[in-house]
Amino acid sequence: MAAASGTNDLSSEMELDAFRRLFPLSFHERHLLESIRPDGRPLGRARDTSLSLGAVASANGSALAKIGCTTMLAAIKLEVMTPTVEAPDEGCIAIDFHMPPICSPLIRPGRPAEVAPVISKQLSDTILSSGTIDLKELCLVSGKAAWMAYLDIYCLDADGALFDAALLSAVAAFSHLQIPVVSLNDDGRIVLVSEENGGSMKEKEPVNKEKIKLKMNSQPFSLTCILHKNYILADPISEEESIMETYLTVVLDTNYQLVSLNKPGGPGLASTSSIQDCIALAQKRVKELQQILSEAISDMEVD
Amino acid sequence: MEFVNPEGLRLDGRRPMEMRQLRAEIGVVSKADGSAVFEMGNTKVIAAVYGPREVQNRSQQSNDQALVRCEYSMANFSTGDRMRKPKGDRRSTEISMVIRQTMEACILTHLMPRSQIDIFVQVLQADGGTRSACINAATLALADAGIPMTDIVTSCSAGFLNGTPLLDLNYVEDSAGGPDVTVGILPKLDKVTLLQMDSKLQMETFETVMQLATEGCKAVASYIREVLLENTKQLESRRGV
Repeated sequence: MAAASGTNDLSSEMELDAFRRLFPLSFHERHLLESIRPDGRPLGRARDTSLSLGAVASANGSALAKIGCTTMLAAIKLEVMTPTVEAPDEGCIAIDFHMPPICSPLIRPGRPAEVAPVISKQLSDTILSSGTIDLKELCLVSGKAAWMAYLDIYCLDADGALFDAALLSAVAAFSHLQIPVVSLNDDGRIVLVSEENGGSMKEKEPVNKEKIKLKMNSQPFSLTCILHKNYILADPISEEESIMETYLTVVLDTNYQLVSLNKPGGPGLASTSSIQDCIALAQKRVKELQQILSEAISDMEVD
Repeated sequence: MEFVNPEGLRLDGRRPMEMRQLRAEIGVVSKADGSAVFEMGNTKVIAAVYGPREVQNRSQQSNDQALVRCEYSMANFSTGDRMRKPKGDRRSTEISMVIRQTMEACILTHLMPRSQIDIFVQVLQADGGTRSACINAATLALADAGIPMTDIVTSCSAGFLNGTPLLDLNYVEDSAGGPDVTVGILPKLDKVTLLQMDSKLQMETFETVMQLATEGCKAVASYIREVLLENTKQLESRRGV
């Protein structure tokens, strides 16, 4: 308590920015007492989110997602591969999350971010276990050829809630994905049917004339909350994440079923009631994100 | 293969002396001290500058000037076929070094001793001329970060195919096997800081092609100045000046 009164004495003389840098925890706690956060949001509200599909023209499917300042660019490239013997009717999805040095002052070349492989694995597990993509849709010729979808997500600006933004961009990229039309040529190889030689009859009929867009079952959306004393802060910025280290990520799908729950330790402890509060906040967020995604898709279709 | 058809149009409909469409935006990465996105046609590059800040490796610290570091990397999806190793390969290391030395020439490093300036460039879409787009983006990012420079650096490439000098090659023209000249200049001082050429070229033709690339650089410079001026006007109006 002596430390707190010490900061109170100094705070009246110190400038706001200096106080924020030197005593970040007291700065944020003073705001929490008024049930508000430094950027003016109430505790349970997420930042402004925006989505734009088709950001990368050279990829088969892509999306740019922004939650506040956190920016993620996801792109999917399809390659043909031979399916495994155990699953001859299924394609494969490889998910990779990158944090290049542009996104944060804490990342230096030669010292990659610690969180990048953690988020990469979390994303991979969530997307594959949520069953939103049926791998059988990626099959071309049973036992011989299937699509390998490489999903690469690049963080362009890291300002908290990285997993949420990455998952949103991944789901949006999959909903934008256009599978190219291919056919099996005489050597048994899969070739792209381009507009020029679409007219020549030398090649056989396209293998997947109908399957142009992937059908997605209920899509997963997530919300990360910070647990600090009795407060639950939804959608933290990177400053909040670094000073109040305990967070809980809830992933729900559009049927409001729980896909994944992740609280990787941390000094704060969660009671069952706070977990239920987080799930309730996540439910509200799923509605918002679904709305944003469907608006982005309809904007694309109008173009 | 015909790169310039009899009517004088290239594969993408441009004239031989025509540059691709330029588009730039400043201040795109909130966490960075300075950042910019630069597009030349389909080539899209994002650059972020962090600095001047504390030197990471004390042993490399210099007492009389700032250390400039640069890293160039390409996104996996930036090229036609997915890249397996986007950084650490020879080409990326070479381009990182080229960008660093080019920018070092114009930054007033003696004003910021014992500090480090990091320039990070990420290629999001590659369609030829990535080196030039990276240098242009780095210039804008450095200007956004307020780092003192003697002049901006602009860069452009030019080639020679089907007997015609062509400005600003795209990927198809670049991989045609003809010569590719990349020039980087300081436009106000009219000095060349970067000059790279590969493949064979006659002496007189080289001069024409280099002259063309320099003209391209000047055009990029006037565009960059417009963008910076527009940005400053917006900052002014936001501060209520």
